[in-house]
Amino acid sequence: MRKSLYTLLSFLLLSGCGMTDYNPYDVHISGETNVNAHNIEKIEANCKGKTKLRFVTMGDSQRWYDETEEFVKEINKRDDIDFVIHGGDMSDFGVTKEFLWQRDIMNGLKVPYVVLIGNHDCLGTGEETYKAVFGPTNFSFIAGNVKFVCLNTNALEYDYSEPVPNFTFMEQEIKDRRDKFEKTVISMHARPYTDVFNDNVAKVFHRYVTEYPGIQFCTAAHTHHHRDDVIFDDGIHYITSDCMDCRSYLVFTITPEKYEYELVKY
Amino acid sequence: MNWLNTKYILRAGVLSILLPFPDLISATCKTDTVIDTYKANSLRFIIKSDSIIAFHTDDSVFTVIKADSILPATPKEVKRTRYDNRVHRFRRNWERIIPTHSKIQYAGNMGLLSFGTGWDYGKRNQWETDLLLGFIPKYSSKKAKVTMTLKQNYMPWSINIGKGFSTEPLTCGLYINTVFGDQFWVNEPDRYPKGYYGFSSKVRFHIFMGQRLTYDIDPQRRFLAKSVTFFYEISTCDLYLISAFQNSYLRPRDYLSLSFGLKFQWL
Repeated sequence: MRKSLYTLLSFLLLSGCGMTDYNPYDVHISGETNVNAHNIEKIEANCKGKTKLRFVTMGDSQRWYDETEEFVKEINKRDDIDFVIHGGDMSDFGVTKEFLWQRDIMNGLKVPYVVLIGNHDCLGTGEETYKAVFGPTNFSFIAGNVKFVCLNTNALEYDYSEPVPNFTFMEQEIKDRRDKFEKTVISMHARPYTDVFNDNVAKVFHRYVTEYPGIQFCTAAHTHHHRDDVIFDDGIHYITSDCMDCRSYLVFTITPEKYEYELVKY
Repeated sequence: MNWLNTKYILRAGVLSILLPFPDLISATCKTDTVIDTYKANSLRFIIKSDSIIAFHTDDSVFTVIKADSILPATPKEVKRTRYDNRVHRFRRNWERIIPTHSKIQYAGNMGLLSFGTGWDYGKRNQWETDLLLGFIPKYSSKKAKVTMTLKQNYMPWSINIGKGFSTEPLTCGLYINTVFGDQFWVNEPDRYPKGYYGFSSKVRFHIFMGQRLTYDIDPQRRFLAKSVTFFYEISTCDLYLISAFQNSYLRPRDYLSLSFGLKFQWL
């Protein structure tokens, strides 16, 4: 009787490790934090001196854990990819565990990756979790001779509490480390004229985009379906990736002469 | 001989019966025993278990009346006013909401620690309703948070296992948890298109199953509680269930939560 009670108690304690949850929104983080900063270090080191880059954009992996895991396996089969940009919406409800589950899946990638913030990632304590796990909501890195500027464009979620998109940041990024890059790619979760973007500043936003040296194109997610829009008649493409449910991703190749991309289904 | 005369024998008998007098005095009077003919100066009554012994002071003659020979006295009509009735009802109803126990629970998606009180009811006290306040430390967020939980428990069986221990081999139920804070909403704020997210970040629905072990405290040693119960529960909430659905990636340990607690039975 007593022996079985001890066994039961020790079983409970052992199995309880990692099974005791305080709240879906507790922002209680276990495992790696500041993921973007770690991976940016790797990306910059790996791509140093390269003039030909190949990277993947995807996004909207919320609640599509199996599909995202398969995506990771697919990418790991290839050896031509330099890094992956996740366009945001890792979580569906802003629940802390969603970020951790998705981080753990994405950590299975052999190549480094960065994650942008999506509108779903802002719900509840989601933004706080995003910041703790991945880092600041606006960030940039330089791969080879290309600067990637990753922006938080989920204005609807912030209700004027923070400048979204942050033009001060965009302006700063035009000048920062100017001698280290010749081309620019802008990444965001929601492109101009989607429901969560502050459409009132869409044109202002695009004006800043055009000011970047050697602007190539913009990448986005959010709408769950692949699209390629030239919104402002100046030849700058906003290229949206599918959601993970569609089991596809975009592979971009930037060469000294041009860029091209391909939709890959798996 | 003198001592053979009957009066003497009778007196001796009375004496021997009256010797354990203090014993008789300490006998308890049952509440349904009504003595109507009591006169302060003459007649004395001693009530013991099922008998009434009647005797006169300064007299050795006594009568033992068996309880079943006593005619029930008709209760006197006490005139209760409507006000009395109302007060009586008022007290009775308020007495019902005196909590019967307190609880402390660790984890379970309702906070790091939750404290609360509750009521048990039902024929075998198989139902239990709790109201708990939980506390979430701030961890990596800006603020610590407070939650409130309304919990309904059902324990179909209780088994006595001896030495003061008993067990409830199955507890099950559900609870609703709400977390306080501006960042959570029941309905989406007006800025969103109607039904944009279609869920509430403020209110969570949980289901649970567990087991209990109760220790009855020795009545002599009771201080705050008459029994203490240890319980553990496996629970999950609506958002975790939805996530687990259609995803084989998530294992039970991802979407199930373990929690422990203690229940102190006051009443």
